[in-house]
Parts: sequence; structure tokens; C-alpha cells
Amino acid sequence: MNVGELDILLVEDNQDDMDLALHALRRGNLANNIFVVRDGEEALDFLFCRGAYADRSFALPPKLVLLDLKLPKIDGMEVLKQAKGDTRTRTIPIVIMTSSKEERDLAESYKLGVNSYIQKPVDFDQFRDTVKSVGLYWLVTNQAPVADGSKQLAGATHDPR
Amino acid sequence: MKPIRQVLLADGNPADSGPALEALTGGRFQSCGMSGDAPIEAKLQRRITGGFMVAVLLTFLMGFSSWRNARLAVDDAGWVSHTYAVMDAIELTSKHVIEVETSARTFALTGQDPLLSHYETVRRTVAAGVDALRHLAADNPNQQQRLDVLEPQVRAALDLAESMVIKRRQRHAVPGARDILETERLMDAVHATTEEMRAEEMRLLIRRTQRTETGRRLTSLIIVAGILVGAGSLALARLAVNREIDVSARGRAQVVTLNAELEQRVEQRTAALESEIAVRQRAEDVLREQAQVLDSAQVFVRDMESRVVFWPRGAERLYGFNAQEALGILSHDLFHTQFPEPLEIIEKKLLETGTWEGELIHRKRDGGIIVVSSAWVLHRDSQGRPVRILETNIDITARKQAQQRLAVQAEELARSRQELETQTLMLQSVLDSMAEGLVAADETGKFVLWNTAAEKILGMGAANLAPQGWTEHFGLFLNDTVTPFPSEQLPLVRAIRGEANTSEMFVRNHKLVEGAWIEVSAGPRKSKDGVVCGGVAAFRDITQRKADVRQIQELNDELELRVAERTAQLRAANKELEAFSYSVSHDLRAPLRHISGFSKLLTEEFGPTLDPGAQHYLDRIQAGTQKMGLLVDELLNLAKVGRHALNAHPAELNSVVADVIAILEPDIQGREVQWVIADLPLVDCDPVLVRQIFQNLLANALKFSRARAPAVIQVSHQEDTEDGQPVFMVRDNGIGFNMKYVDKLFGVFQRLHRPEDFEGTGIGLATVQRIVQKHGGRVWAEGEVDKGAAFYFTLGAGKQAGSKSNAATAGGQS
Repeated sequence: MNVGELDILLVEDNQDDMDLALHALRRGNLANNIFVVRDGEEALDFLFCRGAYADRSFALPPKLVLLDLKLPKIDGMEVLKQAKGDTRTRTIPIVIMTSSKEERDLAESYKLGVNSYIQKPVDFDQFRDTVKSVGLYWLVTNQAPVADGSKQLAGATHDPR
Repeated sequence: MKPIRQVLLADGNPADSGPALEALTGGRFQSCGMSGDAPIEAKLQRRITGGFMVAVLLTFLMGFSSWRNARLAVDDAGWVSHTYAVMDAIELTSKHVIEVETSARTFALTGQDPLLSHYETVRRTVAAGVDALRHLAADNPNQQQRLDVLEPQVRAALDLAESMVIKRRQRHAVPGARDILETERLMDAVHATTEEMRAEEMRLLIRRTQRTETGRRLTSLIIVAGILVGAGSLALARLAVNREIDVSARGRAQVVTLNAELEQRVEQRTAALESEIAVRQRAEDVLREQAQVLDSAQVFVRDMESRVVFWPRGAERLYGFNAQEALGILSHDLFHTQFPEPLEIIEKKLLETGTWEGELIHRKRDGGIIVVSSAWVLHRDSQGRPVRILETNIDITARKQAQQRLAVQAEELARSRQELETQTLMLQSVLDSMAEGLVAADETGKFVLWNTAAEKILGMGAANLAPQGWTEHFGLFLNDTVTPFPSEQLPLVRAIRGEANTSEMFVRNHKLVEGAWIEVSAGPRKSKDGVVCGGVAAFRDITQRKADVRQIQELNDELELRVAERTAQLRAANKELEAFSYSVSHDLRAPLRHISGFSKLLTEEFGPTLDPGAQHYLDRIQAGTQKMGLLVDELLNLAKVGRHALNAHPAELNSVVADVIAILEPDIQGREVQWVIADLPLVDCDPVLVRQIFQNLLANALKFSRARAPAVIQVSHQEDTEDGQPVFMVRDNGIGFNMKYVDKLFGVFQRLHRPEDFEGTGIGLATVQRIVQKHGGRVWAEGEVDKGAAFYFTLGAGKQAGSKSNAATAGGQS
């Protein structure tokens, strides 16, 4: 898979959540370069450019990772831990978007270096607003560090719709 | 020699010796009281002296006789030899005269010279011989006379011889016949004279020899007689000595016997005298006593009308009245007599029996009251008529008082003794009924107390042995049940040393084969002055307790094991609950979100095409999801409070309240709300949780005072309460509540109002209660319908005892 410049990596196993998140992002005009993976293992392969994503380059990291915690195979916390524990991926902003408001998860996430922690509101309007503002902040407002290598535009954009 | 003389004397008069001895001994016996028997002794002395004189005289006589005879014999022998010497001299003279004559005549005839020299020699010898003869016979006048005759005859012979010698020599004349005849005649004369002298001497010799012989015979006779007398005397002396020895022995024996008798008699006499003296002394004592009694016995006499007729000094001494005052006075009036029974009865008795005795109370002259022991004796005259009464009164007041005192004392004594007995009995029964063994020992380790429980617990009674033997005797062991308990460390031994102590030990002996555990407390026993005088040990059988403790320990261990298991199970369950909460949080909320999201999308994207009924249902779905979202969030919040670790520190509550009011601002919009916030103290609490309290209470206050204008919401506190905790209060003037439902206020999902009137989940106050309890505080409410409600709570910060169980059982997540 040849992946060019990517805005958002959405890690979400739940189809409904994924649809609603993508809907919200789309409403916020942030859905142009979104790639979705469905479990922790795939997320790690993607981030570390291996397995199915071996052709990816560390030089073109996603601008934002929206990470669910409860994931099949490898959970979100482990993904966070590995991503933040490796110098190649440490600078990638990771925002946890989860149903859990467990203090333990919250504390653990921040300890591991999460950039933001958001509980998904039940109310869809609130959810939509939250997703939109997070996307805007990290993709537009926030100034990312200058990445190595030439900037390549992604050849293909995953859009499930 | 003296006793012999004495015995000789006694022997001479044997009959005298016995009486003499008796007299002697008798004299000695009597010597203590009388003088000695001087006449008898003098007589004896005289006899002894006389005997002695006779014996001396006899001896002298015998000696003198012998001496004289010897002397006479010697004299006679002298005289005999003298006679022989005289005779020899006569012979010699005669012979020499003859030789002179012969030689002279021969010479005259022959003329030979040698003869002349011989003649000359003999002539000188004859002259000397005649002189010697004269000297020898000087003692004999007869011989002297004859010598006077002889001497001229010799001289004539010698002269003739001389004349012949001279004639021859001068004329050589030869003697003629005449001369020869003359010579012959002279010679014969001389011869005759000498013969006479010799005959005289012979007579003398014979006479002297005879006399000597007689003297010798007499001497022998005397000596023989002396020897015989001496031997006889010795024999007599021996006899007498033996007799004397016998007599003396008899006498000594008699003396001893008599002495013994005498001493016995002296002793008897002495004893008799002593007893006599004692009797006399007793008699004297009795007399003295009687005199004293008589002296102190107060007697007086009255007539039959009781008038005093005789009043001796004794009575005066007793009563103080003198005779003048007493005589003639009625005695009962005088003494103000109080009788033990009516006087009539007394007098009747007196008349019947002649005597009466009893105790009376009298008054003395000085007013003093005395008790007397009174004895009345009735005197009758010769006709038997009663005339006098002799009344003897002895003052027994002191005795009575003493008796009373004694009685009181005796009573007290009896009472205290009874008390003591009661106490002793009680103590004994207490000691015996005690479940605890109690033993006491004195300072030497001798047991002085050993109650029944002690015997029961130890299996045996007190032993009379030294403390060193206790361990072995009673079988006392250390906690390992095999090492003998060191004697010097035994509790009672230490107590006797003055140390109070407590220890446990194991007892096993032949009576307690199974053994028993005892716990012993011992302390020193002290005397009044605080000196340790022994020890007391109390002990009880703790075998059962030990077993119980062991069982409890086992149960505890088992329990702990079970607790650990249960804890592990709980942990697992908690984990499961956490997982469940997580699932609720994640999995339940997710579908809610989806329902909410998709229904929203449906409305947004297909709204215009839906008919109004469908649109309404979609709205209801939206509302339901929102409500459920709220419920889930609050439930998880409640669970989270339980799991929240209390982080208490002094916190400023006013700022907390201000924060909460700020958060509630949206709810206040368009309403008139009056906040009355007091100055709240700094308290130890977890402000995160306390914020939730105020948030819930203030939200409720706002909610239920919605209809009020103005709504008055008051936050204050009271400092002083029963448990010293400040009480915080949140009061509103809202709709209030009925106090009969007050119990339901703090239950989960409990609501007092319909949801369409007041929204809410029924979890808020349950959360408040959980937080307050977590702080160790209390929460309660007061209210009245339409009159508002007040909620009170305390924060016993730091009191987390109750909170742990909450933490353990509560779980959950929003």
C-alpha cells in the first residue's frame, strides 16, 4: 500500500463508531486524508511501517492518530506505549477517543505520553463538535515539528464511503 | 603406843569399854546441846598414865637389874683377877726371896761372881716386888698386916744374905753352920708368911667367884623374866589392838547409822517445823484476811423496828454517818434503801429462815449511791423472840461496775469474735469457692494457706518441704512442658524475695498425668511494718484457655486464610466489577452513542421526508438516550466515589462552594436566587469529593426551589456538636419533603417526586452519603412539605475506618 501524506489515522474496531466518527470528521471537512485501521496490531504495523504497511515511510507519519482504547488483539494502551516509546513515532500526536473515563486509563495514558484524552459524549451533537474541534486543533491550529524527508502526497486516500 | 595403852587399860576392865564408848558417842550426840564428859576422860587419862608409868618402871627395873648384874659381874671378874695377881705377886716375892738366899749362900760357899750379879738383880726385884705387893693388897687390911710381918722377914733374910755375900767377898769366909741355920729359919718364916697370904687370897678368890656366879644367875633370871613379861605384854597388846579395831569398826558403823538416823530425824524435824511454820503462816494469812474482811465488812445491828442500835466504826467508814447520827434512826430511811423485792417479803423470809441475803442500793451520807451485798441475820432471845437483826453490808459497787464493764467487754468480745468467725468463715468459704488456686507461704517457704481450688488445680495439697523441692514435687515445667521450672524463678519463690510477678507454667505429676497449664500471679506478703514475711500466689487452670487460644489461633489462621482467599476472590470480583464498569462505560455508552448518533443523522438527513409522527418518535429516542447517558454517568460516578482514595488535607470550603455556584450558573439563569453563604472553616477533607457534595446539594436546592422567588439558599455551619465535628448545612426554601420519607432520601434511585416535576436520577444524595461516610462523617436531612429542606453533614476527616469496606465493596465506573 502506497501511502502518501496522511492527515488522520483512525484506530477503531467498532463499525458504528467508525461511521459516526468519519461522519463527524467529514462534517468538519477533515475527512480528506483519513486512514482507518480496525485493531491494535494493524495500527502498530501502520505506524511502524511493517507488515501490510511495510512500504510506508517513517518520513511521512500521520498528522494525528485518533486511538480507541478497547481494541482487538493489541489494545490501545499498548499501541500508545509502543508508539510513544519509539523515537521514530514519538512525535506523532495521539489523541485517545474512548468511552472510558477510567481515571486509571487517563493517568496511564498521560504517563505514556498521550497528547490528548477525550471521552466520547453520548450526545451525537456533542460528539460531533468534539471530534471537529480536536481535528481542527491538531491539523490546523497546532504546529507540528518539521518531518524528515520530502513531503509526498498520498497516492490513494482511504475513504470507505 | 597410846591406843595400846588405852586398850590395855580397856582390856584391864573390859566391861567398861562399851559404856565408855556409849558415853563417848552419846556425848558426841549431845555435844550440840550439852558440854562433854570430862570426868570419864580424866579417869581414862589417869588409867592410861598409870599403866604407862608401871610399864616404864618395869622396863627400868629390868634394865637396871641387868645393868647392875653386869656391873657386879665385871667387878667380880676384876677382883678375881686382882686376887690372882696378888697371889702371883706373893708367889713371885717368895720365890725371889728364896733365889736371893740361895744365890747369896751359893756365892758365899763358892765365891763365884756370876752368881753375885744374879743375886744383885733378884735382890732389887724382891724389893720392888714387896712394894708392888703392898700396893696390890692395899685394899686388904689383913694382907697389909701380913705384909708388915713379911717385910721385916724379907729384909732380915736379905740382910743375912748380904752379910754372907759381904763376908765372903771381904774375907772369903765361908758361912758357918749358924749362918746356915739362921738362913733356914728366916726362909721358913718368910715361907710361912707368904703361905698365909696365899691362903688369905685363895679365900678371897673363892668368895668372889661364888659371888660372881650368883650375880650371873640372878641376871639371867631377870632377863628371862623380862623377856617373858615383854612377850606377855605384846600378846596382850595385840589382843587389845584387835579388840580395839573391832570396837572401833563397830563404833564407826554405829556412828554412821546413828548419823543417818540423826540426819533423818533432823530432816523430819525440819520438815515438821516448816509445815508447822506454813500452817502457822496460813493461819496468820487467814487471820489477816479475816481481819481485813472484818475491817471492810460493814456490820451494824438494828432492832426489829429497824432502828440502828449498834453502829461500829466499820459501818461509819462505809456510810459516813457517825454513831450519833445513826443510832436510833430507821436504817432504811438512813440509807434510802432500794430493795430488790418488797420489804414485806424480805422480812417474811427473814422471820421464817432467820437470814436473808441480797443486793441493796444505799445512799451514803455524802449522797453517793452504793450497791451493797447485804446479809441479814435474825437474833432471838432465850424465849425465841426475834429481837435484833445483824446486817452485814459489803460495798460491791466497784465490783458491780467492773462486772458491768466486764459484761460489756465480754459482749463486745463475743461480738467481735463472732464477727471474726463470720469473716473467717466467709473468707474460708470464699477461698474454698474460688476457682483460683490460692496458696501462701511464710518467709521460709512453709505453706500457711492452700485452698481447695489449689489442691484441685495442682492435684495435691500443701507439702511440707523446702522451696527447692517444689518443682520436682508438684511437677512444674517451663512452657516447653519438659524443662523443669527453675526453683529460684518460681513465682512464689520470687514473691518471697519481694518481687511481684506473673508467669505461666505447665504442671504434670502423678495426680495430673495429662498435665495442666496454669497462670500464676504472685506477690510478696508484708507484715504491718512493711517487712516481707512471705508470699502469696494465685493461679488458675488455663488449660482450657490455652486450648481455646490455640483453637482461636487455628480458627484465626483459618479465617485469615479464608479472608485471604475471600480477599483474593473479592479482588478478582472487584476486577471483574471494574471490568464490568469498564464494559458499562465503554460498551453501554457506545451503543447509546450510536442510537443517539444515528437517530440524529436520521432526523438531519431524512427529516423533511418523515411524517411528523416519525419525527416525534425520533425525538423521544434522543431524549431516552440522553437520559440513559446521564444515568450511566452518575452510576459510574457513584461507583467511582467508592473506589476513590481519600486524599484529605485542610481545605478552604468557601472557595469550593464558590466554584460549585459558578458551575451551576446556567441553572440560575432567569431566576431570582439569594445565596446566603457563611464563613466556613478550614477542614480536613478531600476537596474533590466535597465539591461533589456541595454540587449535589446545591443543585438539589436550586432544583427544588425553582418555584420560589426569590429562592433562598443558605450554606452555613455549626461549630459545636456532640462529636466535636463542625456540622455543615445547606438549606433551601423550596418544596421541602415529608419527614416520613426521610429514610428514603439517601437511597440509590430513591425519588420523592415525579420525574416530570423534577428531573433527576435518584443517585445524587446516595453519592453525597457515600462521600460523607468516606470521610467518617454523618449526613441527615430535615424538611417539611412546602417549607424547604435542610441537609446537614459532618466530615470526620481522617476517620477512614469505615471507608475501606466501602472501597472494598464498591466498584464501578462511569
